[in-house]
Amino acid sequence: MPAKAPPRNPPEERLVNLVVALMATEQGLTKDTILTSVSGYREQSEAGVKKDALEKMFERDKENLRGLGVPIETIGDRLDPDDLREARYRVPTAEYELPDDIEFTPAELALLNLAGGVWSEGSMSAEARSGLRKIRALGIAVDDPIIGYSPRISLREPSFATLQRAIEQSQVVTFPYLKPGEDAPRTRRVQPLALIEYEARWHVFGFDLGVAADRTFLLSRIVGDVVVTRQTFDPSLRDGAGDRALAGLEELAERQLALLEVNPGTEAALRLSRRARPAPQGIRVPYVDVQVFAGELASYGPEVRVVEPEALRAEVISRLAATRRLHGGAE
Amino acid sequence: MTDRRPFIATDRAAIMLQLVPYLISKGEVSLAEAAAEFDVTDDQMRQMVEKLTVIGLPGDAGFWQMPNELFDINWDLLDEQGIIVITNWVGLERSPKLTAREAAALLAGLQLARTIPGVGDTEIFTGLLGKLSRGSSAVPADVIVASEPVDEVRSAVAEALRRRVAVSFTYKAPDAAPTTRTVDPVKVQIANGQWYLQGWCHLRLAMRTFHLDRVSDMRLTDIATSHGGEPVPDWFEDGDDVVVRVRFPESVAPLLGEYLERAGIETAGGVSTATMRVADEVSLRRLATRHGGVLEIIEPEGARLAATEWAEAGLAQYR
Repeated sequence: MPAKAPPRNPPEERLVNLVVALMATEQGLTKDTILTSVSGYREQSEAGVKKDALEKMFERDKENLRGLGVPIETIGDRLDPDDLREARYRVPTAEYELPDDIEFTPAELALLNLAGGVWSEGSMSAEARSGLRKIRALGIAVDDPIIGYSPRISLREPSFATLQRAIEQSQVVTFPYLKPGEDAPRTRRVQPLALIEYEARWHVFGFDLGVAADRTFLLSRIVGDVVVTRQTFDPSLRDGAGDRALAGLEELAERQLALLEVNPGTEAALRLSRRARPAPQGIRVPYVDVQVFAGELASYGPEVRVVEPEALRAEVISRLAATRRLHGGAE
Repeated sequence: MTDRRPFIATDRAAIMLQLVPYLISKGEVSLAEAAAEFDVTDDQMRQMVEKLTVIGLPGDAGFWQMPNELFDINWDLLDEQGIIVITNWVGLERSPKLTAREAAALLAGLQLARTIPGVGDTEIFTGLLGKLSRGSSAVPADVIVASEPVDEVRSAVAEALRRRVAVSFTYKAPDAAPTTRTVDPVKVQIANGQWYLQGWCHLRLAMRTFHLDRVSDMRLTDIATSHGGEPVPDWFEDGDDVVVRVRFPESVAPLLGEYLERAGIETAGGVSTATMRVADEVSLRRLATRHGGVLEIIEPEGARLAATEWAEAGLAQYR
């Protein structure tokens, strides 16, 4: 029996119906077939809703589903691939489903459960839980949970999510970046390639188009919105970017070894000794960012003295002097 | 779950795509269990399950689908006992691939998890990395979590947790004399790259949290753990007695990070004032010199004085 009044089906029904229909077809469905047969569109077609509006709805639905990771394939005219009038759409099962030959052992699942719990609240936490659900729905037994450990990754920087999306899409971003010692932020234009947590700080690694070189930026120094531009870059630049970024930070730390004298038994001695290597007089400690490290050293007050390099020494002294000045001490 | 982001149609569609394989693998499952698995309320779960039954293969124009072309559930069980059983399905049997972002979130978590001594070996990790990358619908953005090598203290704690014995060590808290502690280890918290041991302290007769960088001379005892069941403390709850106020330019707030998490912040004219509770007013001198010249302690006066003296003592070394 035909539908009478145009029922406004909830959009999620239409979206899921569309996935089911596109997965059930081998050769693909044309837009016309979809709009007149898939539930959610069909009722509205029959109720006389304009084809324009339905087509727009279909385009939006396709984008939303792709956003969920549903691989909607467009099979165009072989002679003229840009002509989409007769295009057919389908969702190849092999692209959609977790591959058949991927199985997880109970021990692996226990480890994934621990790994999925590291994100404190926020979108990464929701993503991890959703990923775990998909894996758990494969119906695998799980070992006893790994107890005794609660590993956590904090993520406070609002720029993270935008940068991650830009990396996925290989899109150039711009952002205002405030370098310490500079009065105002400068806008950077960057091909973002990887996000790295190093020494408990989040960085974005990428190719800085302004200086035409690889650069690593601290997310905490991005002082405004990250803007994703329409300009894209070659996705192959992302290959191995995380490893390159990490190697770059480690090499930098090795090049920058501060010589410090530390009072034994103090907080400074305890905290620095794990990173330190012995020197004839004092200890040598690698660092990546002179500002960040100077801040840490200044926090130790009289517990540590910087011998060299001079730039680090000057930064520490200036922090101590400024603290004294600000709190009413003698000049 | 009460406190979550807006629950939009796309979210519901994403859940329904995951719901079918979940229900098939479960056989039968209570509404409450399914709701908990998907972080939704019982009512939201019931609505989604009910909606499933109007979803199916496309029908011919002008006709409704045949019943076997639609998803179906056991209505009696749902209505009478709140139990979900899926009785017919027309696709979606297997879980969808992970999205790039889901894979990235798990991959980053694995990098941190693998730093824990005795949890999984290299083979398991390598295997998982491969499976997650093959099981992902797009190449995830590289999200790298760098970790430091595990030292003797961390290995010893792991061993003690496994053997369920107490550890004994010297603990040197900042601005306090060292003490010798015997502790039943309960949990290791890893946060911001720092490791904290939480456990029952035989000296204080209470649960305590210890920063592992401040621990030395750790050894395992043969005292069996007796307080494993105590609730772990809420971080450093050992008396946050002092109310302090600090002032800083609004623009540097992101640099202050974790310190502001528990603070009340007011901002006017580009200047922020944060009010927070700390255990010890002297401890703030370290925060003040870390952000020298940018962060000012407003009160209490004792903390201002301590910061001045701390800075002065530091400067004296360079004369």
